[in-house]
Amino acid sequence: MNKKFSDAIAGYLFILPVLLLFIVLTLGPLVGTLLLSFSKFSLLSSSRWVGLSNFFNLFTDARMGVIYGNTLFFVFILVPLHVIVGLVLAVSVEGLTKGSAKYLFRTTFFFPVLATTASVAIAWGMMFDTSFGLINWFIGLIGAKAIPWLNSPVWVYVAVAIFSLWKFIGNSFIYFLVGLQSIPVELYEAAMLDGASPRQRFFRITLPMLSPTMFFVVVNLIIGAAQIFDEPYFLTAGGPGDSSRTVGLYIYETAFQYHNYSYGSAVALSLFLVILLVTLLQFKLQKKWVFYGN
Amino acid sequence: MATKSLEAKTLGKNVGRLFLQLFLILVGLLYFAPFLWMFSTSLRLAKDSFSLPPALFPTAFEIGNYFEVFNKVPFFSFFLNSFKVAVVVALGNVIFSSMAAYSFARIRFPGRNILFLVLLSGLMITNQVTAIPQFILMAKLHMIDNTWTLVLLWLVNPLGIFLIRQQMMAISDSYEEAALMDGANRWWIYSRIMVPMSVPAISVSTVLWFVANWNDFFRPLLFINTWENMTLPLGMTALTGAVGSGNYSAVLAGVMLSLLPCVVIYIFGQRYLLEGLSTGGLKQ
Repeated sequence: MNKKFSDAIAGYLFILPVLLLFIVLTLGPLVGTLLLSFSKFSLLSSSRWVGLSNFFNLFTDARMGVIYGNTLFFVFILVPLHVIVGLVLAVSVEGLTKGSAKYLFRTTFFFPVLATTASVAIAWGMMFDTSFGLINWFIGLIGAKAIPWLNSPVWVYVAVAIFSLWKFIGNSFIYFLVGLQSIPVELYEAAMLDGASPRQRFFRITLPMLSPTMFFVVVNLIIGAAQIFDEPYFLTAGGPGDSSRTVGLYIYETAFQYHNYSYGSAVALSLFLVILLVTLLQFKLQKKWVFYGN
Repeated sequence: MATKSLEAKTLGKNVGRLFLQLFLILVGLLYFAPFLWMFSTSLRLAKDSFSLPPALFPTAFEIGNYFEVFNKVPFFSFFLNSFKVAVVVALGNVIFSSMAAYSFARIRFPGRNILFLVLLSGLMITNQVTAIPQFILMAKLHMIDNTWTLVLLWLVNPLGIFLIRQQMMAISDSYEEAALMDGANRWWIYSRIMVPMSVPAISVSTVLWFVANWNDFFRPLLFINTWENMTLPLGMTALTGAVGSGNYSAVLAGVMLSLLPCVVIYIFGQRYLLEGLSTGGLKQ
């Protein structure tokens, strides 16, 4: 048996478990979603092909525009917020603290990521309560009027953004922190010798050196925000009205509460295509701004 | 004169630094305050849950709320189910992801790059996109309301494979060549050289994956129906339903209890997290 052949066999055997699971549980279902979206499917009775009618419904569904609008709006506010706040916190903790203080801050900002989402979301729902909530009580202290956090179509976005920043900032924070720590100190030393100001050092060294981390964080944030589910599920249930209902929530309701698996699949497929396009676009655009160095 | 202005400059710098540090402390307190409020309120009497002023510090010590959690719902079995799923998934990730990563990093075989890209594209195929056919499949297999279904659906970790592969690619060829010269087979090289040398990446991918699946609410919501099979996140909604508006403090007692494992995971996992992310690297 020649080495090339035995290598190939070994290579396939090592990836076999993952590949089989991936085909059965991810690729297969993806194809399933595609097929379902062209059918009228029922678990109990017979199913039939219906061509494009689910997609026709999708484009004429008046709620669809609102729901996609909400989801995009979440992406547009959450992604920049997470990038900026995560970066500011990472730069601050890295630059302003030492030793056990650094450890303490790292824990403080990262721990909520680990905290069971359902649990803390339920607790935040209580904190956002208009009449009895912790947050409005503090707002009352400075004499301002109570804010209808979860009952106003505008404030729900602020509430979800606050919760999201509290719960998930640790993700971008920790990636930026690791990225910052991997920038060679010599670069800063050389820049100091050349008399570069802190601002110049940040924009000329820190940001370009962080750009691969930034790319990774942004790609993940967008994929995450596009499927945002837990936050509206626990805090707003999509309301008031449809004002914070997201595509993720709508897929769940359509397929699993109204048992319309086919229409749910059409919506899910549309979400997949959007995520795919945006991600591919980012990989194309990264050549323009991500600095991989040598 | 010159020294004086230099002194003033350093002083100004230090004062500015002090202000920034104070601001950082303030932000840190804001991040910590909700936990404090949850803890303090979990110890209040039911009728005082929402009494104003809110409790940032404990004003009562109603331990009974914590017993209420176990009396109203099978909270302990939520824990066990969550642990079962999380531990099996973590083990599966250590074994399967590292095997695949080794193959992609060190063995040449036809279609390697394509297969790797296909697996990585799994990052874009989100849970919501595959959930409906997965549900139909599991329903046909009579595997609804079964914790093993959750395990099964979590076994492939594309990001984990990517991170471990990055680290394995950075290991010098010389170890592998020496072992091959001595007649070692691939499995020996994988298990005795590659896995021990990739512990940071394996650890960090396991910690990240453990956290993701420990927090998962979406899949249990679809696949689990009964209290006895619920994992903790879904169990929290059961608790809210069972105790609910009658005793918010008891709900918060459940919240506090559900956070205990997270503290343990942080204590054990955090040192791997930074080390693993920096050595695994996010560079292409």
